Amino acid sequence: MQKTMRKFVPMLLMVGLISFGCAGNQGADQAIKAGGPTETQKKSAQLYKGKIVGKSNKAKTISIEVGKGKQAKVMMVKFDEQTKGMEHVAKGHAAIITYEQRKGETVATSIKPKLAKLPQGVTEIKTRELQALVDEQQELYLVDSRPARRYGQAHLPGAVSIPVPLLKKKKAALLPADRDRLLIFYCGGPT
Amino acid sequence: MSTTSAGLAKKFGYTNIRVYLDGEPAWSKANLPTYANHDFIKKGNVVLVDIRPSTDAVAGRIKGAYSIPYDQLDDRLDDIPRNAPVILYGEAEVMDAVEEMREDGFKYLSLVEGGFAGWVASGEPVEKGPIFNTEIRWVRQLGKGEVTLADFRKAASGEDREAVIVDARTKEEVAELGIFKNTINIPLDEIPSRMSEIPKDKKVYVHCATGARADMAYRELIKNGYNAKFLLLNIADADCDCEIIKP
Repeated sequence: MQKTMRKFVPMLLMVGLISFGCAGNQGADQAIKAGGPTETQKKSAQLYKGKIVGKSNKAKTISIEVGKGKQAKVMMVKFDEQTKGMEHVAKGHAAIITYEQRKGETVATSIKPKLAKLPQGVTEIKTRELQALVDEQQELYLVDSRPARRYGQAHLPGAVSIPVPLLKKKKAALLPADRDRLLIFYCGGPT
Repeated sequence: MSTTSAGLAKKFGYTNIRVYLDGEPAWSKANLPTYANHDFIKKGNVVLVDIRPSTDAVAGRIKGAYSIPYDQLDDRLDDIPRNAPVILYGEAEVMDAVEEMREDGFKYLSLVEGGFAGWVASGEPVEKGPIFNTEIRWVRQLGKGEVTLADFRKAASGEDREAVIVDARTKEEVAELGIFKNTINIPLDEIPSRMSEIPKDKKVYVHCATGARADMAYRELIKNGYNAKFLLLNIADADCDCEIIKP
């Protein structure tokens, strides 16, 4: 069991540079404005927005889930040496794939991370700050927005489980009476 | 999910809302503690490990726990399935154990809040006395769209004539290692253009070298109306024990 920081480096870099939304994050779509298509692509450039389902280097293929709920479909796109932004293709991460049709094949031209949009007035909190609040037992109401079984398997200290559908249904009844209390929501992060 | 919840809270009139976008995975990666709830510990398909000295475990442990004292953990790591949800409890050394196991490739680790004392205090079931179940047994439950190895074998052997197998590996991989019987080789990227070669009136089982491409092919077939499933199979392990037509 060699102790190494090696595997943390890419993670820290990524977290530092870009913030992804949570998996299956609704409402984030509006936040995205895909980069303008280049002159050559203008006619055929199209987009897939959604969660990366898988990537095969051997088959040079990416699967991405687009659409929501029952309309959700998994689309397959090819990639090649010219495809830009392959570093944003990670299973479970949200991405926007720009693709074009080439000889009957759907080929990705560029891939961008899909960024989460915070509601106005809501700010992001990072691990270190949250850890300090938890350690100091600051008064806060920490909410796990993931499905209950994910909470059951592993949740943050002091967190309560309120999956999104439950919050929609029960509304403020599940939240503290004091409207000025600090609320912190989290979910499964970029994975 | 968290941003949706934050939006709802704002609508309900809350004024002091923040979102931890990096979420539980970042918390875990920072080697901070996460807890499993009691129902999950009692009923979940989990591996529960007591890392206290064995004398403590004999004197009283959480019902169903395996005993692997912390000083033996390093030697016995390979006895613990890496893809199982593993729940640990012990004293202060438990966070060291979490850190070491995460570095060793364990993905789903969490703790019992309050350790053994916390468990006892909540009136949850314990057991004591000698520990007989030393060999860790854990069976992975099939995920969505997965075919059982038994069903796959029947298709490969020809016993189940209502099923066909699609091998989603490349031609080069098949040429090197061979192919199962009753199997069509269609590399993943050729599936959209060669779908008509797959009979629509039969069950379709897809495999590849690990299961990753098979999963992607399975979704493509389902979308196109096939009765498809996929096999999580490590071709190098030859778990299947199915007959292979050598090249």
